[in-house]
Amino acid sequence: MLETQQAFLQQINENKGIIHKVSKMYMDNTLDQEDLFQEIVMQLWKAYPSFKGTSKFSTWMYRVALNTAIVFFKKDSRKIDKTPLNEQIDLADSSDSHEKEEKLAYLYKAVQELNQIEKALIFLFLENQSHREIAQNLGITEINARVKLNRTKEKLQQIIKKNGYEF
Amino acid sequence: MNFDQLKDEWNKDEVTSNHVSENMLKMKEAHTPIDSIRKKMKHEFFGQLISLLFLAFVPKIFGFTDELKNIYILFYAIICGFMAYYFFKFYVFYKHSYDLSMDSRKNLLWFYYEMRLNLELYKALTYIVGFILLSFSAIALFAIKGDFLTKLLSKLSITYIAINAVVTILLIGVITELWAKFYYGKYLKRIKAIVDSIDEE
Repeated sequence: MLETQQAFLQQINENKGIIHKVSKMYMDNTLDQEDLFQEIVMQLWKAYPSFKGTSKFSTWMYRVALNTAIVFFKKDSRKIDKTPLNEQIDLADSSDSHEKEEKLAYLYKAVQELNQIEKALIFLFLENQSHREIAQNLGITEINARVKLNRTKEKLQQIIKKNGYEF
Repeated sequence: MNFDQLKDEWNKDEVTSNHVSENMLKMKEAHTPIDSIRKKMKHEFFGQLISLLFLAFVPKIFGFTDELKNIYILFYAIICGFMAYYFFKFYVFYKHSYDLSMDSRKNLLWFYYEMRLNLELYKALTYIVGFILLSFSAIALFAIKGDFLTKLLSKLSITYIAINAVVTILLIGVITELWAKFYYGKYLKRIKAIVDSIDEE
Protein backbone atom coordinates (compact mmCIF):
# COMPACT_ATOMS: atom_id res chain seq x y z
CA MET A 1 0.00 0.00 0.00
CA LEU A 2 2.77 2.39 1.02
CA GLU A 3 4.71 1.55 -2.13
CA THR A 4 1.64 2.19 -4.28
CA GLN A 5 1.11 5.50 -2.53
CA GLN A 6 4.74 6.52 -3.05
CA ALA A 7 4.62 5.54 -6.73
CA PHE A 8 1.39 7.51 -7.13
CA LEU A 9 2.77 10.61 -5.40
CA GLN A 10 5.93 10.50 -7.49
CA GLN A 11 3.92 10.42 -10.72
CA ILE A 12 1.58 13.12 -9.50
CA ASN A 13 4.47 15.41 -8.58
CA GLU A 14 6.03 14.88 -11.99
CA ASN A 15 2.76 15.88 -13.67
CA LYS A 16 1.28 18.32 -11.16
CA GLY A 17 1.52 21.13 -13.71
CA ILE A 18 -1.47 19.57 -15.50
CA ILE A 19 -3.59 19.69 -12.33
CA HIS A 20 -2.49 23.21 -11.60
CA LYS A 21 -3.37 24.44 -15.08
CA VAL A 22 -6.76 22.67 -15.02
CA SER A 23 -7.52 24.27 -11.65
CA LYS A 24 -6.62 27.75 -12.93
CA MET A 25 -8.64 27.15 -16.07
CA TYR A 26 -11.79 26.14 -14.18
CA MET A 27 -11.69 28.37 -11.10
CA ASP A 28 -11.17 32.10 -10.98
CA ASN A 29 -9.92 32.61 -7.44
CA THR A 30 -7.08 31.10 -5.47
CA LEU A 31 -9.23 29.47 -2.79
CA ASP A 32 -11.41 27.69 -5.34
CA GLN A 33 -8.33 26.71 -7.35
CA GLU A 34 -6.82 25.11 -4.24
CA ASP A 35 -10.09 23.28 -3.54
CA LEU A 36 -10.21 21.95 -7.08
CA PHE A 37 -6.52 21.00 -7.01
CA GLN A 38 -7.13 18.92 -3.87
CA GLU A 39 -10.29 17.42 -5.31
CA ILE A 40 -8.45 16.33 -8.46
CA VAL A 41 -5.61 14.79 -6.44
CA MET A 42 -8.19 12.94 -4.30
CA GLN A 43 -10.12 11.68 -7.32
CA LEU A 44 -6.89 10.58 -9.02
CA TRP A 45 -5.94 8.65 -5.90
CA LYS A 46 -9.40 7.06 -5.71
CA ALA A 47 -9.23 6.12 -9.39
CA TYR A 48 -5.57 4.99 -9.28
CA PRO A 49 -6.43 1.25 -8.95
CA SER A 50 -8.16 1.52 -12.34
CA PHE A 51 -4.96 2.79 -13.98
CA LYS A 52 -3.61 -0.27 -15.75
CA GLY A 53 -0.61 1.38 -17.35
CA THR A 54 -1.79 0.63 -20.90
CA SER A 55 -1.60 4.36 -21.65
CA LYS A 56 0.75 7.06 -20.37
CA PHE A 57 0.09 8.23 -16.82
CA SER A 58 -0.37 11.79 -18.08
CA THR A 59 -3.03 10.66 -20.63
CA TRP A 60 -5.03 8.97 -17.88
CA MET A 61 -4.49 11.99 -15.66
CA TYR A 62 -5.92 14.39 -18.26
CA ARG A 63 -9.18 12.44 -18.27
CA VAL A 64 -9.63 12.15 -14.53
CA ALA A 65 -8.55 15.76 -13.93
CA LEU A 66 -10.87 17.17 -16.60
CA ASN A 67 -13.81 14.97 -15.61
CA THR A 68 -13.41 16.11 -12.01
CA ALA A 69 -13.14 19.78 -13.01
CA ILE A 70 -16.19 19.57 -15.31
CA VAL A 71 -18.48 18.42 -12.49
CA PHE A 72 -16.78 20.36 -9.70
CA PHE A 73 -18.87 23.22 -8.36
CA LYS A 74 -17.34 26.06 -6.44
CA LYS A 75 -18.69 26.79 -3.00
CA ASP A 76 -21.86 28.85 -3.40
CA SER A 77 -20.82 31.31 -0.72
CA ARG A 78 -17.88 32.47 -2.82
CA LYS A 79 -18.88 35.17 -5.25
CA ILE A 80 -17.85 35.32 -8.88
CA ASP A 81 -15.38 38.08 -9.66
CA LYS A 82 -17.02 40.32 -12.25
CA THR A 83 -14.28 42.95 -12.45
CA PRO A 84 -13.31 43.67 -16.09
CA LEU A 85 -10.07 42.07 -17.25
CA ASN A 86 -8.13 45.27 -17.79
CA GLU A 87 -8.88 46.49 -14.27
CA GLN A 88 -7.48 43.34 -12.75
CA ILE A 89 -4.23 42.99 -14.63
CA ASP A 90 -1.54 45.61 -14.25
CA LEU A 91 -0.37 46.77 -17.65
CA ALA A 92 2.47 49.02 -16.49
CA ASP A 93 5.35 46.58 -16.90
CA SER A 94 5.95 45.83 -20.55
CA SER A 95 9.00 43.55 -20.37
CA ASP A 96 8.87 40.49 -22.61
CA SER A 97 8.42 37.88 -19.87
CA HIS A 98 5.86 40.00 -18.14
CA GLU A 99 4.00 40.39 -21.41
CA LYS A 100 3.81 36.61 -21.75
CA GLU A 101 2.59 36.22 -18.19
CA GLU A 102 0.11 38.95 -18.85
CA LYS A 103 -1.23 37.17 -21.94
CA LEU A 104 -1.74 33.99 -19.94
CA ALA A 105 -3.34 35.94 -17.11
CA TYR A 106 -5.78 37.43 -19.62
CA LEU A 107 -6.40 34.01 -21.06
CA TYR A 108 -7.18 32.52 -17.63
CA LYS A 109 -9.58 35.37 -16.91
CA ALA A 110 -11.25 35.19 -20.31
CA VAL A 111 -11.85 31.41 -20.13
CA GLN A 112 -13.91 31.96 -16.99
CA GLU A 113 -16.68 33.14 -19.32
CA LEU A 114 -16.68 29.82 -21.17
CA ASN A 115 -18.78 26.85 -20.13
CA GLN A 116 -17.28 23.64 -18.67
CA ILE A 117 -17.01 21.85 -22.03
CA GLU A 118 -15.58 24.89 -23.84
CA LYS A 119 -12.92 25.15 -21.14
CA ALA A 120 -12.04 21.48 -21.67
CA LEU A 121 -11.75 22.04 -25.43
CA ILE A 122 -9.42 25.02 -25.06
CA PHE A 123 -7.37 23.26 -22.40
CA LEU A 124 -6.83 20.14 -24.50
CA PHE A 125 -6.02 22.29 -27.55
CA LEU A 126 -3.41 24.26 -25.59
CA GLU A 127 -1.98 20.98 -24.32
CA ASN A 128 -1.20 20.09 -27.98
CA GLN A 129 -3.89 17.42 -28.29
CA SER A 130 -5.07 16.58 -31.79
CA HIS A 131 -8.75 16.77 -32.78
CA ARG A 132 -8.87 13.01 -32.52
CA GLU A 133 -7.48 12.99 -28.98
CA ILE A 134 -9.83 15.80 -27.95
CA ALA A 135 -12.76 13.81 -29.37
CA GLN A 136 -11.67 10.67 -27.53
CA ASN A 137 -11.29 12.50 -24.24
CA LEU A 138 -14.66 14.18 -24.47
CA GLY A 139 -16.56 11.27 -26.00
CA ILE A 140 -17.67 13.12 -29.12
CA THR A 141 -16.93 12.65 -32.82
CA GLU A 142 -13.78 14.09 -34.38
CA ILE A 143 -15.86 16.37 -36.64
CA ASN A 144 -17.83 17.62 -33.68
CA ALA A 145 -14.61 18.26 -31.76
CA ARG A 146 -13.26 20.32 -34.68
CA VAL A 147 -16.48 22.35 -35.01
CA LYS A 148 -16.79 22.93 -31.27
CA LEU A 149 -13.14 23.92 -30.95
CA ASN A 150 -13.39 26.47 -33.76
CA ARG A 151 -16.53 27.95 -32.25
CA THR A 152 -14.90 28.13 -28.83
CA LYS A 153 -11.81 29.83 -30.24
CA GLU A 154 -14.03 32.45 -31.88
CA LYS A 155 -15.95 32.94 -28.66
CA LEU A 156 -12.72 33.34 -26.72
CA GLN A 157 -11.45 35.92 -29.19
CA GLN A 158 -14.66 37.90 -28.80
CA ILE A 159 -14.45 37.78 -25.01
CA ILE A 160 -10.89 39.06 -25.06
CA LYS A 161 -11.75 41.77 -27.57
CA LYS A 162 -14.86 42.78 -25.61
CA ASN A 163 -12.72 43.25 -22.53
CA GLY A 164 -10.38 45.59 -24.37
CA TYR A 165 -7.34 43.44 -24.89
CA GLU A 166 -6.05 42.00 -28.15
CA PHE A 167 -3.11 39.67 -28.72
CA MET B 1 -5.19 36.70 -31.59
CA ASN B 2 -2.63 34.12 -32.57
CA PHE B 3 -3.55 30.77 -31.04
CA ASP B 4 -0.34 29.03 -32.09
CA GLN B 5 1.73 31.67 -30.34
CA LEU B 6 -0.52 31.40 -27.32
CA LYS B 7 -0.09 27.63 -27.34
CA ASP B 8 3.71 28.02 -27.34
CA GLU B 9 3.56 30.38 -24.40
CA TRP B 10 1.16 28.08 -22.57
CA ASN B 11 3.53 25.15 -22.96
CA LYS B 12 6.58 27.21 -21.97
CA ASP B 13 4.80 28.39 -18.84
CA GLU B 14 6.38 26.55 -15.94
CA VAL B 15 3.89 26.18 -13.21
CA THR B 16 5.15 26.42 -9.67
CA SER B 17 2.81 24.66 -7.33
CA ASN B 18 3.16 23.01 -3.96
CA HIS B 19 4.52 19.52 -3.54
CA VAL B 20 1.74 16.96 -3.38
CA SER B 21 2.17 15.10 -0.10
CA GLU B 22 0.40 12.04 1.30
CA ASN B 23 -1.57 14.32 3.63
CA MET B 24 -3.41 15.70 0.63
CA LEU B 25 -4.82 12.23 -0.02
CA LYS B 26 -6.54 12.27 3.37
CA MET B 27 -7.42 15.93 3.64
CA LYS B 28 -11.15 15.93 3.05
CA GLU B 29 -14.06 14.03 1.65
CA ALA B 30 -14.44 14.07 -2.09
CA HIS B 31 -17.25 16.30 -3.30
CA THR B 32 -18.35 15.69 -6.81
CA PRO B 33 -22.14 16.21 -7.20
CA ILE B 34 -22.58 12.46 -6.69
CA ASP B 35 -20.59 12.68 -3.45
CA SER B 36 -22.66 15.67 -2.30
CA ILE B 37 -25.93 13.85 -3.02
CA ARG B 38 -24.64 10.74 -1.28
CA LYS B 39 -23.71 12.81 1.76
CA LYS B 40 -27.13 14.48 1.89
CA MET B 41 -28.90 11.16 1.40
CA LYS B 42 -26.80 9.69 4.21
CA HIS B 43 -28.04 12.45 6.54
CA GLU B 44 -31.61 11.82 5.46
CA PHE B 45 -31.08 8.10 5.92
CA PHE B 46 -30.40 8.61 9.62
CA GLY B 47 -33.39 10.95 9.86
CA GLN B 48 -35.61 8.31 8.29
CA LEU B 49 -34.21 5.62 10.56
CA ILE B 50 -35.06 7.72 13.63
CA SER B 51 -38.57 8.40 12.22
CA LEU B 52 -39.05 4.67 11.69
CA LEU B 53 -38.05 4.00 15.30
CA PHE B 54 -40.40 6.73 16.46
CA LEU B 55 -43.26 5.21 14.44
CA ALA B 56 -42.73 1.94 16.31
CA PHE B 57 -43.73 3.69 19.54
CA VAL B 58 -46.75 5.52 18.14
CA PRO B 59 -49.36 2.98 19.45
CA LYS B 60 -47.92 3.29 22.95
CA ILE B 61 -47.64 7.10 22.82
CA PHE B 62 -51.22 7.58 21.58
CA GLY B 63 -52.71 4.68 23.57
CA PHE B 64 -54.16 2.74 20.63
CA THR B 65 -56.79 0.09 21.31
CA ASP B 66 -55.85 -3.55 20.56
CA GLU B 67 -57.90 -3.44 17.37
CA LEU B 68 -56.22 -0.26 16.12
CA LYS B 69 -52.83 -1.55 17.22
CA ASN B 70 -53.26 -4.61 14.97
CA ILE B 71 -54.15 -2.44 11.99
CA TYR B 72 -51.22 -0.17 12.77
CA ILE B 73 -48.79 -3.11 12.89
CA LEU B 74 -49.94 -4.11 9.40
CA PHE B 75 -49.34 -0.59 8.05
CA TYR B 76 -46.04 -0.31 9.92
CA ALA B 77 -44.86 -3.62 8.42
CA ILE B 78 -45.65 -2.33 4.91
CA ILE B 79 -43.72 0.89 5.58
CA CYS B 80 -40.79 -1.16 6.92
CA GLY B 81 -40.84 -3.29 3.78
CA PHE B 82 -40.68 -0.28 1.47
CA MET B 83 -38.05 1.41 3.64
CA ALA B 84 -35.90 -1.74 3.66
CA TYR B 85 -36.02 -1.84 -0.14
CA TYR B 86 -35.07 1.83 -0.34
CA PHE B 87 -32.30 1.47 2.25
CA PHE B 88 -30.87 -1.44 0.27
CA LYS B 89 -30.94 0.58 -2.96
CA PHE B 90 -29.40 3.53 -1.16
CA TYR B 91 -26.66 1.30 0.27
CA VAL B 92 -25.82 0.08 -3.24
CA PHE B 93 -25.74 3.69 -4.49
CA TYR B 94 -23.60 4.77 -1.54
CA LYS B 95 -21.06 2.00 -2.00
CA HIS B 96 -20.96 2.12 -5.78
CA SER B 97 -17.73 3.66 -6.96
CA TYR B 98 -17.59 5.68 -10.13
CA ASP B 99 -14.98 5.69 -12.83
CA LEU B 100 -13.70 9.12 -13.75
CA SER B 101 -11.33 7.68 -16.34
CA MET B 102 -14.21 7.16 -18.80
CA ASP B 103 -14.59 9.80 -21.52
CA SER B 104 -16.36 12.98 -20.36
CA ARG B 105 -19.66 12.27 -22.13
CA LYS B 106 -19.98 8.77 -20.66
CA ASN B 107 -18.96 10.07 -17.30
CA LEU B 108 -21.49 12.91 -17.34
CA LEU B 109 -24.31 10.64 -18.52
CA TRP B 110 -23.47 8.17 -15.77
CA PHE B 111 -23.59 10.95 -13.17
CA TYR B 112 -26.85 12.32 -14.57
CA TYR B 113 -28.78 9.08 -14.79
CA GLU B 114 -27.47 7.77 -11.47
CA MET B 115 -28.61 10.96 -9.77
CA ARG B 116 -31.99 10.96 -11.50
CA LEU B 117 -32.62 7.33 -10.68
CA ASN B 118 -31.88 7.82 -7.01
CA LEU B 119 -33.89 11.01 -6.83
CA GLU B 120 -36.93 9.31 -8.41
CA LEU B 121 -36.55 6.41 -5.99
CA TYR B 122 -36.40 8.85 -3.12
CA LYS B 123 -39.55 10.64 -4.33
CA ALA B 124 -41.39 7.35 -4.87
CA LEU B 125 -40.63 6.28 -1.31
CA THR B 126 -41.87 9.62 0.05
CA TYR B 127 -45.16 9.25 -1.89
CA ILE B 128 -45.67 5.67 -0.72
CA VAL B 129 -44.94 6.37 2.95
CA GLY B 130 -47.06 9.53 2.78
CA PHE B 131 -50.06 7.62 1.38
CA ILE B 132 -49.70 4.76 3.85
CA LEU B 133 -49.59 7.15 6.81
CA LEU B 134 -52.51 9.12 5.41
CA SER B 135 -54.58 5.97 4.90
CA PHE B 136 -53.85 4.82 8.42
CA SER B 137 -54.76 8.24 9.82
CA ALA B 138 -58.14 8.03 8.02
CA ILE B 139 -58.77 4.52 9.40
CA ALA B 140 -57.71 5.62 12.90
CA LEU B 141 -60.03 8.61 12.76
CA PHE B 142 -62.94 6.39 11.79
CA ALA B 143 -62.10 3.94 14.54
CA ILE B 144 -61.83 6.65 17.19
CA LYS B 145 -64.44 9.14 16.05
CA GLY B 146 -66.49 6.80 13.86
CA ASP B 147 -69.97 8.07 14.70
CA PHE B 148 -69.02 11.70 14.39
CA LEU B 149 -67.26 11.15 11.04
CA THR B 150 -70.12 9.04 9.63
CA LYS B 151 -72.58 11.80 10.47
CA LEU B 152 -70.23 14.40 9.04
CA LEU B 153 -69.66 12.44 5.83
CA SER B 154 -73.40 11.89 5.32
CA LYS B 155 -73.80 15.66 5.25
CA LEU B 156 -70.99 16.16 2.71
CA SER B 157 -71.33 15.42 -0.97
CA ILE B 158 -69.15 12.72 -2.57
CA THR B 159 -67.72 15.38 -4.92
CA TYR B 160 -66.53 17.42 -1.95
CA ILE B 161 -64.83 14.39 -0.39
CA ALA B 162 -63.24 13.45 -3.73
CA ILE B 163 -61.94 17.01 -4.23
CA ASN B 164 -60.42 16.96 -0.75
CA ALA B 165 -58.71 13.63 -1.41
CA VAL B 166 -57.28 14.90 -4.70
CA VAL B 167 -56.08 18.13 -3.07
CA THR B 168 -54.36 16.16 -0.29
CA ILE B 169 -52.66 13.89 -2.81
CA LEU B 170 -51.56 16.90 -4.84
CA LEU B 171 -50.24 18.55 -1.70
CA ILE B 172 -48.11 15.50 -0.88
CA GLY B 173 -46.88 15.52 -4.48
CA VAL B 174 -46.04 19.24 -4.50
CA ILE B 175 -44.24 19.08 -1.13
CA THR B 176 -42.20 16.05 -2.26
CA GLU B 177 -41.31 17.62 -5.61
CA LEU B 178 -40.34 20.94 -4.01
CA TRP B 179 -38.27 19.27 -1.32
CA ALA B 180 -36.40 17.13 -3.90
CA LYS B 181 -35.90 20.18 -6.12
CA PHE B 182 -34.69 22.36 -3.30
CA TYR B 183 -32.44 19.76 -1.70
CA TYR B 184 -31.06 17.85 -4.70
CA GLY B 185 -32.36 19.53 -7.85
CA LYS B 186 -29.57 22.08 -8.27
CA TYR B 187 -26.98 19.33 -8.88
CA LEU B 188 -29.20 17.65 -11.42
CA LYS B 189 -29.87 20.93 -13.22
CA ARG B 190 -26.19 21.80 -13.45
CA ILE B 191 -25.17 18.37 -14.73
CA LYS B 192 -28.02 18.45 -17.26
CA ALA B 193 -26.76 21.80 -18.57
CA ILE B 194 -23.27 20.33 -19.06
CA VAL B 195 -24.69 17.21 -20.76
CA ASP B 196 -26.63 19.50 -23.12
CA SER B 197 -23.57 21.54 -23.95
CA ILE B 198 -21.56 18.43 -24.83
CA ASP B 199 -24.38 17.07 -26.99
CA GLU B 200 -24.90 20.37 -28.78
CA GLU B 201 -24.15 19.97 -32.51
